[in-house]
Formats: sequence, C-alpha cells, structure tokens
Amino acid sequence: MSVLSRIVDEVRSYHWFVKAMIITVVIGMAGATLRFVFGLGATTNLNDTYPWGLWISFDVVTAVPLAAGAFTLGAIVHCFNIKKLEPLVRPSIVTGFLGYSLVSVGLLLDLGQPQRAWHVLRYWNVHSPMFEVSMCIMLYTTVLFLEFLEPVAQKFGWSVSLRLLRWLEMPLAIAAAAISTLHQSSLGTFFLIAVDKLHSLWYNPLLPLLFWISAICSGMCIIILEATACHKWMGEPNEGELLQTLSKILPWTLGAYLALRVYSLVFLSQGPFFNRPWLTLSFLLEVGVGFLVPLIMFCNKAIRENDSRRSLAAGLVVFGLVLNRFNVSMFGMMDPQNPYFPTAIESLVTLSIIAAHILFFVLIAKYFPIFEHHPETVDYRIPHRPGKTAGVSG
Amino acid sequence: MSTNRDFSRDGTFLIDLTKCTGCRACQVACKQWNQLPAEHTEFFSGQGYQNPPAMSEYTFTRIKFRDYQKNGQNEFAFYKEMCMHCNEPACASVCPVGAFEKTVEGPVFYKDNRCIGCRFCMIACPFGVPKYEWSKALPLVKKCTGCLERVREGLAPACATTCPTAITYGPRDEMIELGKKRLLRHPERYVQKAYGYQEAGGTSVIYLTALPFDELGFKQVTKRALPEYTWDALRLVPGIFLTAGAGLSALAWITHRRERLRQELERERAALAAEEAKEDQE
Repeated sequence: MSVLSRIVDEVRSYHWFVKAMIITVVIGMAGATLRFVFGLGATTNLNDTYPWGLWISFDVVTAVPLAAGAFTLGAIVHCFNIKKLEPLVRPSIVTGFLGYSLVSVGLLLDLGQPQRAWHVLRYWNVHSPMFEVSMCIMLYTTVLFLEFLEPVAQKFGWSVSLRLLRWLEMPLAIAAAAISTLHQSSLGTFFLIAVDKLHSLWYNPLLPLLFWISAICSGMCIIILEATACHKWMGEPNEGELLQTLSKILPWTLGAYLALRVYSLVFLSQGPFFNRPWLTLSFLLEVGVGFLVPLIMFCNKAIRENDSRRSLAAGLVVFGLVLNRFNVSMFGMMDPQNPYFPTAIESLVTLSIIAAHILFFVLIAKYFPIFEHHPETVDYRIPHRPGKTAGVSG
Repeated sequence: MSTNRDFSRDGTFLIDLTKCTGCRACQVACKQWNQLPAEHTEFFSGQGYQNPPAMSEYTFTRIKFRDYQKNGQNEFAFYKEMCMHCNEPACASVCPVGAFEKTVEGPVFYKDNRCIGCRFCMIACPFGVPKYEWSKALPLVKKCTGCLERVREGLAPACATTCPTAITYGPRDEMIELGKKRLLRHPERYVQKAYGYQEAGGTSVIYLTALPFDELGFKQVTKRALPEYTWDALRLVPGIFLTAGAGLSALAWITHRRERLRQELERERAALAAEEAKEDQE
C-alpha cells in the first residue's frame, strides 16, 4: 500500500466531526485566498471609519487570552510546584502552541502587507504596543514550539532530546510566564491610545492589568473545558480530580479581576457610563454572567466536584472573556452611526480558524502522548547506544 | 518621538475659517500636487454642499460645509479637514515599524516602504486622518503629506499657497502669535479659542472659527499628547519582565528547595524508624 492510500484510509476512518472540521478549514482557506486576490475592501466590511474588524477582535485580541492556559499552568506546576497538576501541562501547551500559530495566521491575513511582517524585526519602535506584542508573539511561539517538542520526542523515542527538553522545562516555563505577562497586558495597552473612542465602561488606565488577569482566568477555564471534552468524546482519561484542584485557584483570580474591575470603573474611569443601552446590556452580561456568576459557582465545592457544572462555570468565564474582548475592541469602539457587521468571508475565515484549532488539537491528541502523560512513568535515562529507545512511552 | 523637542519653529498652518470662502481651491491644489485621481461623487451625498463625502485614499483635504442662520440670514461656515501634523503624533507612536515620523520641518511624514498595513495608526489617530487603500490586494495608508518636499525646498504647502484668503503658513510660535492677535483685535468675530493650540498635545494646524468648534464637526480631543497614554503602561515593560522572571525563578527555587528538604527529612525519619525497629528486634 502506498503512503498516500494509507493516509486516505486513515482520514476516511475519522469521526464525522473531524471530517466536518477539515471541510470547514478548507473553505476558510478558500476565503483567505479571496482576500489576497481581491483585497481587504472587497472581502471584508472594513472601511476608513472602522479599520479593525472581526479578524483583529477575535483572531488576535480574543484568541491570545484563550491560549493563556499554557503559561498559567506552566507557572502553577513548575514555579508554584503544584506537581499534581503536571498531567494538564501538555494539553495546555498544545492549546497554546496551536492558538499562537493560528493568531499569527489571522494577523497575516489582516495585515495589508503580510510579506513585510518581518519589518517588525528590522525597524524597532519601542513606543508601539503592537511592536511589543509582535515581538512577544514571535518569541513565545518559539518557546511553545520547544515545549511542544517534548511529546513529539517522546512519541518517536528521541530520549536524548527528551532529556534536554525535560531539563529546559523550568526555564521555558519561567520565560513563557514572563513573556505572556507582557503581551497579554499589552493587548490592553493597544486600546489606551483610543482615549476618546473607546466607551467609558471599558476605557481605564488599568486595562493592561485587567487583560492580564482575565487571560489567566480564561486560560485555566479553557483547560477545564478541553480536558472534560476530551474525556467525554475522545475517550481520554478522566482528569476530573486535577480539574477540581485547578478550579480551586479560579475564585482567587476571578475575585481579583472583579475587584480591580469595580475599582477601576468607580475610581479611575470618567463617565458617561450608561448612555447607550446596548453597551450597558453587553457590560452587564460580561461582568455579571461572564465573571460574577462563575466566581460564585467556583466558590461552591459541590459545583467544583461535578464535571458538568464545573464545565458550565468554566464556559461562562470563556463567554465573559470573549464578550469583554469584543466589547473593548469592537462594540465599545464602534461609532453607532456606522455599525460594522463582518462579511460572510470574514466570518467563515474566523470560523475555520477555530475549526483548525479543534482539528489540530484532536489530531495531535490522537497521535501524540498528550493526555496519558504522567511524568513518573516516563524513562528519561540516556540509552547505552545513542539513538532510539523503545522503552519510552507515557 | 522626542517629548522634549521644541516645536515652536515647526512649519504650521494657521487656518482662519472666518476668512474661508469655501472655494475649495485647496482641494484642487492638493489633488494636483499629490497627483491624486478624482473621485466619483454625487451632489448632496453628504451634508450640504460638501464633496467628496469624506476624506479618503484619494482626498487628503476637504472643505466641510455647514449651513446656519445668523440675524435671520442663511450663512455658510466651513472647516478644512486635513492631517493635523501633531507635535507628538499618535500614529507615529503606535506604528510597530516606525513608518510615521514627525519631521523637524513640521509635517508628519509616512514612509510607505516600511508600512506593514496593520492600521493601528487609523485606530490611534484622534482626528481620523489616515485612510486606507481598501481597493488594493496589498494596500497602504494614505494621508496628507504636509507637502514635505515643498517645505524642504522653502515653499509653502500646495493648499496654503493656493488659498486666496484663509491659510497662513509659518513657524508655529509666529502662527500662535498671529492667531492670538486676531482673537484680541476682533473678539466679536471669533470663538475665543484656537483649535490645535493644545489639542492632542498641540498640532501643526491651528484653526480659528466664528462658530463653536463642535458645531463645525471638530472632534473633542484630549489636551494630553496621546503617546503618553500608552507609554504610561509600556514604560513598565522591562521592569515587569525582569520582576516576573526573577520572581518566578525565586519562587521555583524556594518551592523546590522546600520539597527537597521535606523529602530528605522523610528519608531520615524512615531511616531512623528502620533503625529503631531493628533495635526493638534485638
């Protein structure tokens, strides 16, 4: 049997859901091609009064905090030394690596001159939050790639590189947390320059700090959702007990976020606050349903111990985070006289980026030891002869 | 972007809108000098007689019209929209590749060979000046150049040269002086404020008007230079990076040391217990 037919057979054997994801990704790629053939004006609803649309609001501003689980768990496990949670580190790194790679794809689609993206490395402007975020994303994607190599090395039995990567775990986790702190917050700094444009419900000088803390919250919640979903639908081991431990951290971060949010709104922002009913509603949904309700839920032991209720609470935080980033980068920035709706192509491309994330995650979890990883069972010894060892498996 | 630069000798437009007749020669001169194509427009497509309806990639300056009543008479007021050439431009501060530069001559210059097309300048500009080539596959930003080439050769910008009545061009301090003189000499003719004197930290375009600025469509803009808003956060970046890195390293060292000590203690205890058990047997 040739390689090609083996691949075709393999793909045929996939679940219909995976096939649907593949089709969505292909459609999205076609949409992306249209953008490069006909230009941004023809394929998007962007214009001079509304230059940043769905691709920035979701693919960059929202996708980055959703991928924050990698650095959060790295810091929790390696720096706070809560070793118990180590089995969750790998899925979070895969999520992070995919998330950041797809952020880069989204950013390149949205750039007017993507072939010049490297100019950021050539012409530095340290006064620009965009420069800072671009540099961080490049650096951090590299770090995530190195961290992601660990399951790959394990899968193929490259024990020497596995030992090296294992030794690098701690410095990489520290670098990841430091770099992430910078760019997660700098995404908030983006909107500090929109002084008279962003609505007062969201504009305040603490925006960078709020972006950072909420990213930590949502990063952990994504891990909860992912691990639960993989247990439910992919037959991966149940990490419920670990997720319980993780959800004990959430009331602290959510509480800190809400306290800062209220403080900045009451003491640092200048009204008018409630002059636009839709924005008021969106604000209430975001802060109430998206942060306050899950805070109360995560404080409750019974809910933390129940898989589906815990996932519901985590889902609400993710909803709150997405709504928050859309409120800051889209709804709060919009001029009510010139409303913006994404075109079908914009929506399809974003949808296919989400689909690509799910697809690659499922495939990686299928072929690499992501969930079955329990470090005490792995043999990291250098073999007598250089090369492969057979005894390395999760 | 140097915050301590002295802007008083920067080439500056003093635009006295009470003297503007709405002839739009400035629009034509701008198109001619910058070789910009005409736009297909319709009459009354915007508010009143103004055309084109907005500044765009083809239109760097534009006269806005406003009808109003004075002593029972219909009157016109005008507003020449253009790049404000800020002393400390928001566009220059947010551009990741430094494609905007506040030149020593005054105009804010756009280096199109650097631009990566992220459009952050359009988000950042408080006056809504930078426009985009939406029709192109690989678009660039377009905006008023302040006729930098002309200014460097000792000429005034095209619109200022062609304007028969309203625009004076010269060093910023002299333009401010001239503006103040006019406000003092004819207090009945002017709103007692010069737009651009302090807006966005001060600009190289300064307006005098008879009507309140917001009625003419001037944007309400903060008096603080915009780059300061982001710099307040960005200047902390190196410190935060070092603090986070060092803090987490220290934390990791402490937690791992504690674990090692605990394990050693346990081992000792186990050894002790084993010894005791041995002694008990004997």
